[in-house]
Amino acid sequence: MNLPEPRSEHLGTVELRIPSKPEWVAVARLAVAAIANRLPFSVEEIEDLKLAIAEACTICIQQGGSGQSIDVICDVETTHVRVDVRDHRYRERAEGGAPRRPAVTAVEGEGLGIFLIQALTDELEYGVDPQLGTQLVMTKRVGA
Amino acid sequence: MDSRPHVDEERWDRARTREAFARLAVARGAGAPDAERLRDELVVAHLNLVRYLAVKFVNRGEALDDLIQVGTVGLIKAIDRFDLERGVEFTTYATPTIVGEIKRYFRDKGWALKVPRRLQELNLSVNRALEKLTVTLGHSPTVKDLAQHLHASEEEILEAQELGQAYNLLSLDTEVSGDGDKNAQTLADYIGRIDPGLANLEDRTNLERAFEVLSRRERIILFLRFYESISQTEIAKRLNVSQMHVSRLQQKALEKLREVLLEKS
Repeated sequence: MNLPEPRSEHLGTVELRIPSKPEWVAVARLAVAAIANRLPFSVEEIEDLKLAIAEACTICIQQGGSGQSIDVICDVETTHVRVDVRDHRYRERAEGGAPRRPAVTAVEGEGLGIFLIQALTDELEYGVDPQLGTQLVMTKRVGA
Repeated sequence: MDSRPHVDEERWDRARTREAFARLAVARGAGAPDAERLRDELVVAHLNLVRYLAVKFVNRGEALDDLIQVGTVGLIKAIDRFDLERGVEFTTYATPTIVGEIKRYFRDKGWALKVPRRLQELNLSVNRALEKLTVTLGHSPTVKDLAQHLHASEEEILEAQELGQAYNLLSLDTEVSGDGDKNAQTLADYIGRIDPGLANLEDRTNLERAFEVLSRRERIILFLRFYESISQTEIAKRLNVSQMHVSRLQQKALEKLREVLLEKS
């Protein structure tokens, strides 16, 4: 069944940079909850998104070590929200003009969080690489 | 006491899981009696996965044990449906099944209604605690103070304050315009009510139209009887007919009106 994509309008972008430490993950969760709350998401969908964000931040922290930072970039559209969670290595590479996305690499032990995010969001693209950095881009659609 | 098959969890890795599924498939195909034991082993070996996932949902208002239980149902379903030929890891396959089972549990419990209520309640308690702690502490409490007082996490307090705004009750006497002077308007002033005059007007218009179906004589009778409150006997005298006849005409006229008005609505 191929339904045409509903027309979507960009409402805004919110960028948040948090220290790469577990105690800051709650800030990302809250911010994303407040952002998602601007769209007609159900409470359950917002909870799912919060959990997915927390998992993504946790993966960044585990892979990237502490003492650095994580960027959480939310693109808010009328029909969905797209959240890009990336660690400092990704940012540094991006600033140096390196390719936008790290190659997808499976890192042993990262698996469960990725699967959980996949189960909770509608779309997930990710790259987890010890050298290139970590980036997870997830999309949650309203009423999907 | 513990009838679970002994599984050394340390030694369960992807290769061993694959091997166990291969043996299970063979045992099932052959109808071998140890198929059940192999299945049990796989279930026990992956209980940690269920626990890991269930813990993630624990702040949504259901007991962890219940979540693990429904998650385990999901795990068993995943084990029974998993097919090695697909070429994916079992954990990849099982995670959405287990998460799906947990989420369905919330849905079946009417969770979508429950959480706003949890937040709403927390929001109310936060407001109460705010007043109470301001007095006892002598200063406005921190979020940490509130969290300790209400046995909630700091994040929940912030969330209750943020999302709880949608659930705040407003007094009907809240002023919505004016600066507190006597012209100030309150919310209550803006609340609509049923206007009996308006309803009357509508009925009147309908009735007027309905009157058109009546004969001249019928109209006269109804007018005298109901507008002038004249008795049937008196009307009979005026029209020079019997009272019985007036009664019959009135009855018929009312029936006609009723018919027309009911048709309209």
